[in-house]
Amino acid sequence: MSRSPEAANPEAADAALPAAGAINRRDVLRTMAALTAGAAVGLRSPPVLAQAKRFDGVTLRGACFQHVFHENVKAYLPEFEKATGMKVEIDLQAFPVYNQRMDLELSTQGSSYDFINITFPYSGRWVGAGWLAPLDSFVSDRNQTPAEWNPDDFVSGTQTPFRGKDGKTYGFAWEAGAMMMGIARYDLIEKAGLNIPETLEELAAVCAAVHGKDGVAAYVNDKLHHWNFPPYLMNMGGKVFRKAPDDLMPTLDTPEAARAAQYYGDLLSKYGPQGVLSFTDDQALRSQTEGRANIRTNAMAWVLPLAKRADSKVKETARFGMIPKGAGGSFPGCNANGYGIPVGARQKEAAWAFIQWATSKETFRRIAFERGGLAVPRRSIIDDPEYRKVLNINGQDVAALYLQILERAGEGNYMSYRTVPVFPQVGDKINKAIERIASRQQSAEASMATAQAEAVADLRKAGVAL
Amino acid sequence: MSTDAPSYLPRRERILANTLVIVLAILTLLPFLWFVVMSFKPSDEFFTGIDGLFFKPTLKNYEGLWTGRFSVSIWNSIVTSTVSTGLALMIGTPGAYALSRATMRRERTFSLLILASRMAPPVAFAIPYFLVYRNLGLLDTKTGLIIVYLTFNLALVVWLMRNFFDGTPRALEEAAWIDGASLWKTFVLIVLPMSTPAIATTAMLCFLYSWNDFFFALTLTRNSAMTAPVEVVNFMNYEGWEWGKIAAGGTLIMMPVLLFSVLMRKYLVAGMTAGAVKG
Amino acid sequence: MSISTKVSDYAAASDGRGAAIGALPHFERQRIRFFWMLLTPVLVILAIVTLLPTIYLLVTSFTPLSLATPGTAWNFSDPLANYKVLFGDSRLHNSLWVQLKLSFFTVVLQLLLGLVVALLLNMRTALMEALRSTFLVPMVLPPIVVAIIWKVLYSPDISPAWWIFKALGWSVATPITDANWALTAIIIADTWEWFPFTMLIILAALSMMPEELREAARIDGATSWQLTWFVTLPYLRNTLLVAGLFRLIDSIKTFPLIYILTDGGPGTVTEVSNYYVFSQSFNYSYIGYSSAVTMVLLAITLLLSWIIIRVVAGESRVD
Repeated sequence: MSRSPEAANPEAADAALPAAGAINRRDVLRTMAALTAGAAVGLRSPPVLAQAKRFDGVTLRGACFQHVFHENVKAYLPEFEKATGMKVEIDLQAFPVYNQRMDLELSTQGSSYDFINITFPYSGRWVGAGWLAPLDSFVSDRNQTPAEWNPDDFVSGTQTPFRGKDGKTYGFAWEAGAMMMGIARYDLIEKAGLNIPETLEELAAVCAAVHGKDGVAAYVNDKLHHWNFPPYLMNMGGKVFRKAPDDLMPTLDTPEAARAAQYYGDLLSKYGPQGVLSFTDDQALRSQTEGRANIRTNAMAWVLPLAKRADSKVKETARFGMIPKGAGGSFPGCNANGYGIPVGARQKEAAWAFIQWATSKETFRRIAFERGGLAVPRRSIIDDPEYRKVLNINGQDVAALYLQILERAGEGNYMSYRTVPVFPQVGDKINKAIERIASRQQSAEASMATAQAEAVADLRKAGVAL
Repeated sequence: MSTDAPSYLPRRERILANTLVIVLAILTLLPFLWFVVMSFKPSDEFFTGIDGLFFKPTLKNYEGLWTGRFSVSIWNSIVTSTVSTGLALMIGTPGAYALSRATMRRERTFSLLILASRMAPPVAFAIPYFLVYRNLGLLDTKTGLIIVYLTFNLALVVWLMRNFFDGTPRALEEAAWIDGASLWKTFVLIVLPMSTPAIATTAMLCFLYSWNDFFFALTLTRNSAMTAPVEVVNFMNYEGWEWGKIAAGGTLIMMPVLLFSVLMRKYLVAGMTAGAVKG
Repeated sequence: MSISTKVSDYAAASDGRGAAIGALPHFERQRIRFFWMLLTPVLVILAIVTLLPTIYLLVTSFTPLSLATPGTAWNFSDPLANYKVLFGDSRLHNSLWVQLKLSFFTVVLQLLLGLVVALLLNMRTALMEALRSTFLVPMVLPPIVVAIIWKVLYSPDISPAWWIFKALGWSVATPITDANWALTAIIIADTWEWFPFTMLIILAALSMMPEELREAARIDGATSWQLTWFVTLPYLRNTLLVAGLFRLIDSIKTFPLIYILTDGGPGTVTEVSNYYVFSQSFNYSYIGYSSAVTMVLLAITLLLSWIIIRVVAGESRVD
């Protein structure tokens, strides 16, 4: 369920996400040291890969959900294939389809894939069920992983979801995602005499003022409400579970939840483009880049293309902001998606070589600076002065915004609702509830009460003690 | 059937009826034709609105298909459908013959079994097959799909071929027996050759069913054995709604079944109602 | 019914049909052995591929099997738990209700449309003979392609219908995300896909209709309408019943249309039982529970199949 967006994960932001200088100096120093070392060895071809085409003739098969990051990886893949001799095939599927099929595949401990994407909201389920192979031995083996690859360079929060109860690491992040607001047509808002909305009231007012102007719908989002909606829920004082990850009693039937669901459902039904309830990420993004819809709150990877994608028609008018806060505070979504190796995979070493390459500093650096994939989980890149420069868009310091969100997510443990093993089922109930509200079948109270009842029944079915 | 209109139909009624049929035929075909037309449309003209009605046809969408995994999935479809059809015929035809030449007291129970295996919701088979295949390593293999397709193909063959044998005279076989031919020889040299048309029709129907399957391929394959219908749906996902490719892929998948159904129009009913209505 | 009964039925009855040589006991025995030899592989394989899985499904339905929870396989501590949950599962009940609506409307519409087209085509003018095959197209297309075709038609961005609406200045919501229209959208697509089936069955019956029936009425001066109403329709009664039952059972299997068009939504407006089972089993791996629900669907299917057999058998007895 959830999407892919970027991500820093909750705890993630922990220390990691460094906010400006406050961050731990230790980290920065370490990073610098690593960088220097890297430079000395020559980052371009890590020694391990240089060892004569170690994987000649190997065909590596991976699967991921559709996300710009993987497109970017594919762009550099030929170099990797040339260096190692292996051939890498990556199946990309839509987010919900991917998760469903991968869940099934992992449950059979199958060997169809050598590496996979560990989806943030499924991380608890997949790691917890023992469906992934631990990576620690690969990381510590100097024959497989050079020292300068440096696992400690990952913003620490981004690694939390991939760590099992046994303390082992089952994945490495390719994304530190932070949810923000992307505005495609700020000019329309200005024309209405308004600013970038900072509170939910202001957002509603802006939507009302600009909806339909110039044929542009004021708001758009994709259909993965279990990712899109919880920040609104929490900003208005609600929660998904009473106290994740220990007390998993859902709290979807509170008055706050009903109010938030009503609010979010209204955004979609009153201000969304036609058919918004069936939009995928890609459709939502395109409606924005083509200037048919204005505001979306989503992971940075999905809103940055407004300004960064070559075919975007709204490059000049794109603006970014925090997801508007509410009476309950501000809880922007954060997540981390990563690569992992299924326990049944037959070519684990080759898979690790790929993961290592795809999440290396060099690859991230090039993806960030050459292709605009800026939701990077490695601190050494975030701290790079060039990073800030690239994220200075239309006069806005988006890097600061990004770090602010990651940092915010690190303060509490509020994203942990997303990585509990049963989140996928509960997320489905949230999806359905929002759809019922936005399509005006049920009042928010009734719909959320239904979601609550269904979620409770489902958790019982899964054997969760409530 | 005669091709001339019965003379008793008043002229006015005939014209009215003809017009109605034309209108209905157009309505029936339009959605399908539009889809085929779309497959020749340049991909940047999909969102042009009503102006998009006119465009310069291109084969780009089709070319795009052959480079990727689509050709593999078409191959998977061909192999699984053909092999499953062949197996079902090989196993089912002799049985159908035996059933036809002997009589059964519980005719109805047998019909029910045949009908039920055609009617059962696919999920009823998908769940147990999924569980068993996990352990046998048959998930995502063509073999796995071929076996699953037997669930409906075998019943279909038995039913159709038995109907056919019921309608053929026994005199030839009996003459052969009197001449001293063995039972096997009679079956192989006399009965089978005269059944060739029926076998061909049955084969096409089995092929059509297997080819059209979506549910089993969706739940029991991942990538190496994925069939074309599932692959087309994947375009919708990972290619970001590339409508041109989707239309081209869809058009390719429907070609063989369209062709077959024209060839065996007369037997479609019998095939689709196997177990209940005799052909 | 078990295979063994069936086989013994066969063996017991097979001697009844003596051909000239069949009368020789030795040859007869040989024949029986031969038929057995031909029949055994089919029966065994049919049992393996259909009966065994069904038994496995039944057994699984007594366990809480969930692939994400170890220790749930072969756990029979509370065998009826799933069936108890089933009675209180409001989403399942909703799905049955959706199924009922979908089945009712599609069957009725397909019978009506199939009947009209069949009656028209039965006039057999040269033109109609030529156009006949065109009506078969929707039915033989791969269902997934049918679903995609309708996805195109229902997507305002690319649908020619919406271009026309727009040109006319109408603002029409896309039905597949509208709670009031989503099910209707599915019903329309399903009717388009399957009316050729009822049409074919009816046409087949019409072609076997004894001409004397109509002739007699025509001599009495009946108009075409009267002829259709008082002669043809009563003649078709059983055919319509069988065709309807077939479509009814098939409607329980509706999957690709919903998978592609609405994903069961918005909310659960178009979530039929089959689809609900799919998501429970293949999205969330509640295999045990799904098996129980599937057993219920299977029972409904069997019952309806049995009715069909009765109807058809009754018909042939009348003949």
